[in-house]
Amino acid sequence: MLAEAVRSIGANISTTVAATMTVLIGMFLLGLFIALGTYVLSWSDHVKSELVVKVFFDRDVKPAQVEAVRVQLDSNNQVRKFELVTAEQGLEKIRKQRPELFGSDGLPFNPLGPAYTITPIKAEYTETIANSLKPLPTGVHRVTYGKKTAEKILSVAKVIESIFLIAVIVLLAASTILIANTIRLSIFARRREIEVMKLVGATNWFVRGPFMLEGLICGLGGSLLAVILLFVGKEAALPSILPRLDSGPDVNAMGFWAIALILLTFGLLLGAAGSGLTLRRFLRV
Amino acid sequence: MTVVQDTTLATETPVIAEPEAQDLQAAAARAMIVFDNVLKVYEPNVVALEEASFVIEKGEFVFLVGPSGSGKSTMVRLLLKELEPTSGRIVVGGRDLARLRRSKVPQLRRNIGCVFQDFKLLPNRTTGENVAYALKVQGEGANSIRHKVPEVLGLVGLTHKVNSYPDELSGGEQQRVSIARAFVNHPPLLVCDEPTGNLDPDTSVGIMQLLYRINRSGTTVVMATHDREMVDKMRRRVIALEDGRIARDERRGGYASE
Repeated sequence: MLAEAVRSIGANISTTVAATMTVLIGMFLLGLFIALGTYVLSWSDHVKSELVVKVFFDRDVKPAQVEAVRVQLDSNNQVRKFELVTAEQGLEKIRKQRPELFGSDGLPFNPLGPAYTITPIKAEYTETIANSLKPLPTGVHRVTYGKKTAEKILSVAKVIESIFLIAVIVLLAASTILIANTIRLSIFARRREIEVMKLVGATNWFVRGPFMLEGLICGLGGSLLAVILLFVGKEAALPSILPRLDSGPDVNAMGFWAIALILLTFGLLLGAAGSGLTLRRFLRV
Repeated sequence: MTVVQDTTLATETPVIAEPEAQDLQAAAARAMIVFDNVLKVYEPNVVALEEASFVIEKGEFVFLVGPSGSGKSTMVRLLLKELEPTSGRIVVGGRDLARLRRSKVPQLRRNIGCVFQDFKLLPNRTTGENVAYALKVQGEGANSIRHKVPEVLGLVGLTHKVNSYPDELSGGEQQRVSIARAFVNHPPLLVCDEPTGNLDPDTSVGIMQLLYRINRSGTTVVMATHDREMVDKMRRRVIALEDGRIARDERRGGYASE
């Protein structure tokens, strides 16, 4: 069967090249998009992870009152973690950020109380966590979660996520249709051959096998070329682009080899299934 | 080949119009082809064949004659189960085609050699590979293919063209390749649809001689044709079709009724 497929690739070299190129283009775009998309998603996750809820206590708060808030946060399942920032640590932080507020000999006393910095499980939970602390427990001076900023970041992230999702679906559909169409043309050009095969008593699978194997080889070849192109592009372009994107170390695109695996699998399936399904029409002889 | 084990065939439906056929079940088993009141209507309502009933015995040589559109090709395609009859029964080699499952159709076709007016060779395969393909589809081993292909190419006189592609052959040679492909399995039945339709008279004679030899070896040959001269010369059984009806069925007939 392999011999049949190889000879048929050789005999129909132009359609084979066309099909392979179609797979190549489709898979290249898909790969590029997955890389870009996952990068943007990861960036929006990173931004979202910086959304926190802050609980500021009074200066003269009693340890028991802090403990009461701790117990309440402990039982809240929207909270991933929280951290106590003591008055001294808070002052130190401000001193680093805004040294001009402090005179040469510092402040006469520490105006801050202790505070909790709460990281939610999902950025969308900041508001509910803040609301769960209303009315303010005794000893708590203020609860903030950067309402305006949080809402803005969340809505932008949502838009980005939906654009990415829609684009991937559109791209998948477009490349499937494109590849299926190319395969159909190549099979249509050979429908007489299929008819003859059926008339001399070939079973459907005997006819289909080499065609599907051929589709599989085209799909694999096309996506392999796409992976190579993407790899070259990545090696050539990324070193000059990455430093300009001021993103933290936890912002990453999906790993290259994972993308490569997705493309190869998809190309393979598309090639084989595409030719197998397209053949059905022509096998009814 | 299996006998039709169907008692209703004998009691209810008169399979064969011939008076001497007393034991119908045995007749159906003995015969190569039985057409019993076959009707074929193409959508929407073009009648291609109606009330077609005849029996072709094993080893016969039969011409199907008639003008274009009289139903000859429809008959050939019905034999191959390329088409289904609208009503009526067709038995080929003891198999009732209506009861033959789709998955068994390749099996049927391997037992019927086919020769067409347009040869239907695979264009990107050599003569040898075209003939070998008919053996490959039934899972024949490489050894037996190596043995059988030269043998049948010798029979049709094309041993020297084994590595030529169809477009390097003349029409007559292509038709001989297609006969070799049809006959390489030694099928009990050879069906030819206008095999000489595209060939000049001299070449046609060669093809006819080949078919005659194949028939002499015991293979039933059914041949749809327009070739008046050939039919008149051969003096074999003639089934004449007109507008989808059997107009004439003669043991040793000519192209036209005398």
